[in-house]
Amino acid sequence: MMISPRLSKTLSCVLLCAVTCSTVAVANAHHHATTRRQQIAVKDVDLKPYVENYAEVVYRNYQDAHTQAAMMKVAITAFLNNPNETSHKAAQDAWVQARKSYLQTEAFRFYEGPIDFVDAKTGEEGPEGRINAWPMNEAFIDYVKEKPDSGLINNPKFEISIASILESDQVTDEADVSTGWHAIEFLLWGQDFNNEGPGQRNFEDFIPNQNNNDRRRQYLTLVTQQLVSDLTFLEAEWKPNAENYRAKFLQGDPKATVGKIFTALATLSAFEMASERMTVALDSGNQEDEHSCFSDTTHQDFVFNAKGISNVYFGDYAGYQGKGFDELLAQMNPDLNQKITAALTTTQESASQIDQPFDQVLASAQGSPPRAEVEAVVTALENQGEAFKELGPVLGTSVEILAE
Amino acid sequence: MKFKRLFLILWAVFTALMVLMIQGGVTSLEAFSPDNRTELSGGSAATVSKATKTAFAQPIKNLDRKRRRVFVFGDHLFNTQWVQAPSSVATLDGLGPLFNRNSCAGCHVRDGRGRPPLPHEDRMLSKLIRLSIPGQTEEGGPLPHPLYGGQLQEQGILGVPSEGRTQVSWEEEPGTFADGKPFSVRQPSYRFTDLAYGPLGDEVLFSPRVAPAVFGLGLLETVPQADIVKQADPEDRDGDGISGRPNYVWDFVKKDKQLGILGWKANQPNLKQQIAGAFNGDIGLTTSLFPKPSCNEGQPDCLKEIKFGEQPEVSDEFLDKITTYMSLLAVPARRNIEGVAEKRGEKLFYQAQCASCHTPKMVTGKTSEHSEFNNQVIHPYTDLLLHDMGAGLADNRPDFEAEGQEWRTPPLWGVGLVKNVNKHTFFLHDGRARDLMEAVLWHGGEAQASKEAVLQLSETERTELIAFLQSL
Repeated sequence: MMISPRLSKTLSCVLLCAVTCSTVAVANAHHHATTRRQQIAVKDVDLKPYVENYAEVVYRNYQDAHTQAAMMKVAITAFLNNPNETSHKAAQDAWVQARKSYLQTEAFRFYEGPIDFVDAKTGEEGPEGRINAWPMNEAFIDYVKEKPDSGLINNPKFEISIASILESDQVTDEADVSTGWHAIEFLLWGQDFNNEGPGQRNFEDFIPNQNNNDRRRQYLTLVTQQLVSDLTFLEAEWKPNAENYRAKFLQGDPKATVGKIFTALATLSAFEMASERMTVALDSGNQEDEHSCFSDTTHQDFVFNAKGISNVYFGDYAGYQGKGFDELLAQMNPDLNQKITAALTTTQESASQIDQPFDQVLASAQGSPPRAEVEAVVTALENQGEAFKELGPVLGTSVEILAE
Repeated sequence: MKFKRLFLILWAVFTALMVLMIQGGVTSLEAFSPDNRTELSGGSAATVSKATKTAFAQPIKNLDRKRRRVFVFGDHLFNTQWVQAPSSVATLDGLGPLFNRNSCAGCHVRDGRGRPPLPHEDRMLSKLIRLSIPGQTEEGGPLPHPLYGGQLQEQGILGVPSEGRTQVSWEEEPGTFADGKPFSVRQPSYRFTDLAYGPLGDEVLFSPRVAPAVFGLGLLETVPQADIVKQADPEDRDGDGISGRPNYVWDFVKKDKQLGILGWKANQPNLKQQIAGAFNGDIGLTTSLFPKPSCNEGQPDCLKEIKFGEQPEVSDEFLDKITTYMSLLAVPARRNIEGVAEKRGEKLFYQAQCASCHTPKMVTGKTSEHSEFNNQVIHPYTDLLLHDMGAGLADNRPDFEAEGQEWRTPPLWGVGLVKNVNKHTFFLHDGRARDLMEAVLWHGGEAQASKEAVLQLSETERTELIAFLQSL
């Protein structure tokens, strides 16, 4: 859907460049006689406008993610005020909707920005672990099959407050996740024992004054509130013209900054998506070994992660279209630009073709067509990650595939 | 006359050299070399600049696709919370019947270090008790307790009583530095309660152990054994008060004694066996190396449960993948190596002869299937040998050739990052030390002289020594 305007934008840029850049190309010819098609060297380009546009994309994306999460909170409050099948479904739908914008922001992880910074002195960390930690030991939060008393919610000795919930988060085990999207997801859907669809938690779990329902209601309210306030923080850190991370980000060495931007994209592609979320699921033989296992929306995770990567490369978010790195690369190294553009298209197309729900793929036999489709996405993502790495030498920086 | 002058000149040169050496702090057996002041603790490919909570969880640089896939899956196995068999996921079940934790990461949180339970925690979370009685197995290992086996498993699956609980209590032992500044260290004592299978008896030997950090082990495995053994000086022939003995332990694949290099008492010959042993003892999972379940005669409920689940519970494929994962965990780079305090502390480290056992440098061989590990100069700060650490630290429980007062020199690389990764600073085999200085103050036996030297340091020098350790 976004391919046609994009293509024309890239083409016009290439045409424009062919005219305006020819003199520069001649002047610099002796620097890169070996790379025939490279027209402008990194020392001759101003990376700053691209970095500035990136910051704008990040801001717009977090702003949207915050707005969507706030809307989810409204739906969850409405559900708790009047728990029934309809309000329950509305809360679930709001979660699915809100995820879409957040998933695109995952392209801004992996370089210790506001989302995942660590202050070496104070030990303070960005909110990523609170927002999206996974895999999750659901029995740490609430009851699970055959363990009716399990979890913080059913432990009367545990005082339910945001401070105590955060203190318990991932302390004795990385999987003991107490907050974030997947905690909310588990509270809204419950464990998924349904081969054909998502978890089947009953809205009656949230009717007041019964069993531990009040504790569950309070828990859901608090973790939802925490998610919204974490997203508020991220939006504020990227707000234009403020004393925040964005201001410092724009003052940094643009080459190093571009290295971070693409390390994030390479890492999200080849490590987080391809390995952590896809091959692990394929190799474990466990139907529920998937990212959004309670709601069965893992497929949407892949699609919107991939879109987030593409947004950064093309400098766009939703209706906004800015100065994309594709324009820069069209001048500097059209071959690589073409390779990356093709990789992004292949990834997005192949990701959209994965069978839904994703856990059905995991349940299918080795070598079956649904699995082959996912393997194709893995390959596309690996290729994409490696194409981003090739940007390192072109942009005079280092682009890596990290493994967090 | 001529000879006398020559003698005088030589004497002067010798004295000058001695003065220079002493001033330079180069009095220990292991001389300071500027090359050792490097950020590249794990060599060129296996050092990662990461000081955050995932500092111990990074793979070596530039993993190719194939190994990245295995690494990430191994990581997943490391984090998997194993469940009781039979379950809907046969590949990931088989927990227990008796066990300590249900995942590797439960004890080695973020591939890091365990600790003793805190006052509000009512059970051991990342620490366990090894058990035995006097005598040796056919293989030369500790003789398992007839009722409780090789370790106290504090959890059981539904219907199988857990073996018991460990109650730790602490007693403060005050002391003073030479400058009059007081300190206190704490000595643990243990009581075992809720014992479900009868009394432990008078003969029981036990050894408390916290989970060690698990990065850099692929590199240590690649160090040529001859080089490790060469450092040993069991009879202390050089008279420096430091012996250093190799442990020789049973290799269950080779069916032979091999040099022990891993574990608190160097009681494991290689990573794969270490992992299979931990699966078996700590999580109650069988492997082709250790096919027997975690039950003993006299634990009928336990024996009844073992018919469930596919055998071995951890397939060879999974065992290989998790072994590859752990081999590939890189070493975090050193920080602040040119800091003034760090450099002074480094000098003090050598002066106090710490480097005699915590030997800074090793060179790997070329036996690894991962070419990045071959021919690397690494800085683990260990000799991988056993040393008598005195009565204060002793567990009085032999482990193959390791005696009751002996412990393997633990590597110091990454020691300054434990607080970032694991949010605590408990050190030593049982986590009794509450910070690095307390850990130093527990050194006795062969390290007594080093400890005495530290007691003599001024407050500033003590801070500098710790600053150096924090930079590792």
